[in-house]
Amino acid sequence: MLADLLPEVSDAELEQFRQIMLTQYGLDFSGYAPASLKRRLGSVMKKYGLPTLALLNHRLLTQPEYIKYFINEITVSTTELFRDPPAWVALRLQALSFFSSLAEIRIWHVGASTGEEVLSMAILLQESNLYERAQIYATDIDEVSLEKAQSARYPIRLKRLYKQNFHQVFPTIPFEKYVQEEGNELVFDKTLLKNVRFLKHNIVTEAPFEEFEIILCRNLLIYFTPALQDLVVTKLVESLVTGGILMIGTKESLFWCTAAKRLAAINDVERIYRKRR
Amino acid sequence: MKPQGREVYLWLMGGSAGSFNPIRSFLHQMPYHSDVAIVLCLHRLRSPRMGMIDAIGYLKGWEMSEPDDKTVIQGGHVYIAPADYHLLVEAEGYFSLSVEEPVHFSRPSIDVLLESVVRARWKRAGAALLSGANRDGAYGMYLMHQAGYFTAVQEPSDAEIPTMPEAALNLFEPRVRFRRESLVKVCLQALTLSV
Repeated sequence: MLADLLPEVSDAELEQFRQIMLTQYGLDFSGYAPASLKRRLGSVMKKYGLPTLALLNHRLLTQPEYIKYFINEITVSTTELFRDPPAWVALRLQALSFFSSLAEIRIWHVGASTGEEVLSMAILLQESNLYERAQIYATDIDEVSLEKAQSARYPIRLKRLYKQNFHQVFPTIPFEKYVQEEGNELVFDKTLLKNVRFLKHNIVTEAPFEEFEIILCRNLLIYFTPALQDLVVTKLVESLVTGGILMIGTKESLFWCTAAKRLAAINDVERIYRKRR
Repeated sequence: MKPQGREVYLWLMGGSAGSFNPIRSFLHQMPYHSDVAIVLCLHRLRSPRMGMIDAIGYLKGWEMSEPDDKTVIQGGHVYIAPADYHLLVEAEGYFSLSVEEPVHFSRPSIDVLLESVVRARWKRAGAALLSGANRDGAYGMYLMHQAGYFTAVQEPSDAEIPTMPEAALNLFEPRVRFRRESLVKVCLQALTLSV
């Protein structure tokens, strides 16, 4: 009876899934927190009417063209413009000024998803007269989301929320300075993406590719086990210049991360840290 | 040292509109238990941070927090699902958070929390569903019931808004139907049965 209600994800099938992803696609899911991974797998199985994970595994083995869409379905792409506005206010007021004298500011959005935070950062830089000096990298394992990010177009139903968030960060600047309506879409000023490079990159398995002044990795660590959080945060801290900024999600914690001792909190509530000298 | 991780009894409470006052008065009357974690999943506004802790007020003995991601579950603690995140229980004995899509327009969702407890095969747990204006929680309670956990649903006639408990009662008959004033007794009954 329970099995009818809840698509069964047995440990053996889950292990088989991890093996397929690793050996066929080079994607390591062994460090993903089981509760949400099982839930995501369950919802994909439901969507395609597959009663067992074994059938989904078979599909992944026999239909390699499906992987791009599967990654989009299994990863969580939820994001928004200026999500957690107080965190962006804190970033603007407490951190950006560290870099105002630099000729180049390198910024990495890890798990950039559909790009709203990349646009948030670009607007923040623009309003601080720092955009022209910025080199922004936006990476994700989900190509479908990255394609959306590059279009900088979003459904009009998000307007109210995005505008509200925007005005919490910039109370006196008109939202329309950066955003226009076209039919059913909100279209962001494309010049905000002028200095942005979108790259497919897997933070779990791939090495970092640059040194950065600022790294944003928000609401990605929550999908990882403590052990993988430790590994990923170590990579991020090693990719920061001394004095560089790491910003994570406001409910994420560095409790399990050994690299936390190399960081000092700039704002503990908003989870903004600076690499120690 | 207080029990933590999988040794803890999880008393899960879900509710929406009309559930806050009964839950608040339950918390103020519930005797302290060092091996019990009370987990509240209440529909709430997106933005406020920590406001609910202040609204509940000081509880004798119990610690209260909105857990961060991967917080180890401890006995003697009241945990409140943070606004705009789903709260999940991991078999390893800690919480995970998720920002995946709202369920029944709700994040946190009661269904998501209860499903995670069932999937984690948590050793000792029970759940109560209270007043609310949508169907979230009904499916999760049914899962809990089918998996053999103690379930309690507020009598619709006692609920300020009966939609949520009615949705659960349409799916299954819980172990107990309760009125708000007996919530402490119901929780103590669940604890006795779990020993």
